[in-house]
Amino acid sequence: MELSKSSAKGWQVIHVVGQVDSKTVGELRDYIDKELEEGKPVALDVQGVPFMSSAGLRTLLTLHRRTEVMAVSLALVGIASEIADTMKVTGFYDYFTKYANLSSLPES
Amino acid sequence: MNNVVVDRIDGLPTDEIGGFQVRPGKPLPFGVSHVSNGLNFSIYTSAGTACTLVLFRRGDSNPFAELPFPRNYRIGDVFCMVVFGLDYEDLEYGYRIDGPFDSVVGHRFDFNKILMDPYARLISGRNVWGEEPNWEQIYPYRAKVSTDDFDWEGDRPLEISPEDLVIYEAHVRAFTQSPSAEVKHPGTYAGLVDKIPYLKDLGVNAIELMPIYEFDEFENSRLHPETGERLYNFWGYSTVGFFAPKAGYAATGRFGMQMDEFKQLVKTLHKAGIEVILDVVFNHTAEGNDQGPTLSFKGLDNKIYYMLTPEGYYFNFSGTGNTLNCNNPVVRSLVLDCLRYWAAEFHIDGFRFDLASILGRDPWGAPLSNPPLLESLAFDPILSSCKLIAEAWDAGGLYQVGSFPAFGRWGEWNGKYRDCARRFLKGDAGMVGELAQRIQGSPDLYRHSGRSPATSVNFITCHDGFTLADLVSFNGKHNDANGEGNRDGGDDNHSWNCGAEGWTDDPVILSLRKRQIMNAMAILFTSRGIPMVLMGDEFGRSQHGNNNAYCLDSPVSWVDWSLLQSNRDLHQYVKALIHFRNRHPALRVNHFEEDSGLHLPSCSFHGQGAWSADWSDESRQLAWMMTAGLQPNGGGLDVVYVAANMAHFASWFETPEAPEGYRWRICFNTGDQNSPILASEPILGSPGLMLGERSVVILSASAPA
Repeated sequence: MELSKSSAKGWQVIHVVGQVDSKTVGELRDYIDKELEEGKPVALDVQGVPFMSSAGLRTLLTLHRRTEVMAVSLALVGIASEIADTMKVTGFYDYFTKYANLSSLPES
Repeated sequence: MNNVVVDRIDGLPTDEIGGFQVRPGKPLPFGVSHVSNGLNFSIYTSAGTACTLVLFRRGDSNPFAELPFPRNYRIGDVFCMVVFGLDYEDLEYGYRIDGPFDSVVGHRFDFNKILMDPYARLISGRNVWGEEPNWEQIYPYRAKVSTDDFDWEGDRPLEISPEDLVIYEAHVRAFTQSPSAEVKHPGTYAGLVDKIPYLKDLGVNAIELMPIYEFDEFENSRLHPETGERLYNFWGYSTVGFFAPKAGYAATGRFGMQMDEFKQLVKTLHKAGIEVILDVVFNHTAEGNDQGPTLSFKGLDNKIYYMLTPEGYYFNFSGTGNTLNCNNPVVRSLVLDCLRYWAAEFHIDGFRFDLASILGRDPWGAPLSNPPLLESLAFDPILSSCKLIAEAWDAGGLYQVGSFPAFGRWGEWNGKYRDCARRFLKGDAGMVGELAQRIQGSPDLYRHSGRSPATSVNFITCHDGFTLADLVSFNGKHNDANGEGNRDGGDDNHSWNCGAEGWTDDPVILSLRKRQIMNAMAILFTSRGIPMVLMGDEFGRSQHGNNNAYCLDSPVSWVDWSLLQSNRDLHQYVKALIHFRNRHPALRVNHFEEDSGLHLPSCSFHGQGAWSADWSDESRQLAWMMTAGLQPNGGGLDVVYVAANMAHFASWFETPEAPEGYRWRICFNTGDQNSPILASEPILGSPGLMLGERSVVILSASAPA
């Protein structure tokens, strides 16, 4: 899994490339712990994520809770349709704001 | 985030086995559970002498580790161990148990077999329905580690009063597998979610799901000797894992997310005001008899889990090879733990127990007068608001409708209601007397023991037997598709084909069939007790005369949703009836007191003359009037009058006088095929009414505005 960070339109963007599952999810969590800046909305760019396991989806939900506590927005960018479908039928989907790509992020 | 428990001393290993860091575990809870830094494995065997934990990576044929439990990891009869550093998502685990193999004594230990944890909450191996398994697999059904962290967002069981329930019986796969269902994920929990708006619109408030505990659709699978069609264990009345929702019913089963998908189904049903009742099969397991496979119980503690003859053979009260030894205290705990888990973790509203009479037999098969299991369930603190419904008979000849040990709690599938209603419908002689009992909630069965009408789940059809459309289209079963030479399935169907066997284009016969369906529904929904309808009966679903489609994963079993269009009027009628029932408390009174306290009896019977039912054998006319106060406003009355003429000629019914200030309004008339629903509820202008042959009229009394 490759992780990097940039900013766009006032959002802090975390780019994830690779599969998110129980093996890699700790890495993602640690990265977010380290890199997340208070008070700035978070966009998780998952355009490069082909598969997200149950543990991966659960980490997204944890991240959602944390951004709620921080009172900042959380957006998912470019989620693969298969992952989106899994999220829908298991109840994870509605917690997130979704954007197709980074250029469709609104100004923050 | 700091993990505050990381420094606990029990979060650190004490030993190393086979390269894995471990420490002695905790015996409870059974199964596998997350503890700090590790997983706690706990397994019971009373007669096993040694135990080894076997670990697989997902899908691998061979284990990557085998960890024998040291002596000090056993407390009483429980082996328990914490293993550190495992990737729980990628893990599949099982056990080997050593011990004697002596079938006469009842022991069948075999250290070569890898056994599934009976407490497994997540099971892989049959992740996608119908996908041909690897038959050489040494460990076919694999326990996995679950995560119980679903976000319920404040949901809880609905606790609808039993008398207000309208139950819809459905099979997860059959309900939406047909392309005509037009759902994104056919045949799954997710597919069922797409049909919730339909169910809500129909007016039902409980769905009873045929087995969803993990089972193997390939159990006893075979090819039809003539057609070559693959036959399956389609219904699923043969449990592999009691704690695990069936993976193959989940669109996400291949990702191991069936728990989340099933919970999402329950949560969405609850949001729509619909309870979830599970059809649970605790009478036997998928391990069969001495010829059957060793999957779990058989190798863990055969003698504890199964009822055995003195010679060590399996008792077969279930008709399927073995019988779970439910009144052994250990097995009783397992059943209780299981139901508590489903109630607490999945927010299940109720359970219907398949062949429940078995649960009241002692370990030698004799019926108990106060079966400990049934008592435990009835008084359990976690299950206290769950509906408990018994199929009050078994395949060993015990028939307990009316006498099932209820402990003031248990309801029953009322098989006598079904048979009586069917016989009255087809015009059998001598039925009006019994029908009067059935209509009131069967006081002849339930009153003497202090039970109430909602003890009785009233039904005319269920998964087992003809659909309603088939009940009026076939005199006999037509089960050739099951590949058993039409020998399977019951012969006591009390059905009548209305003049031709099966398909016909005779408009008179077709019209009579539709009327008979409407008559059946009218009787069902104006009876006290809990009405239950079978999926698709509200729009004329047919199984082409098959009354036992347990093995057919085909359009015979699948609900054909195109019938919803072609039988739109029937669907509209049933929907109107259900909503009528929901509006009329008189139909849902849940006591047997005759006096309503309102100068009218709570329930009275009439015939062609008011207040004088003809109880003779030749009578095929019966009318009933039901009364209740309109709560909570007080003052107003709710009165419903139903006249049923099952004679083959038109009959005049004199109506009883409506209460003072009230007038009868006509709500339904099945004799008028073109408009059986009288939406405007016109006032009845005469002191009675002429009912056409084989038809039902429903009136309600209302005060002038």
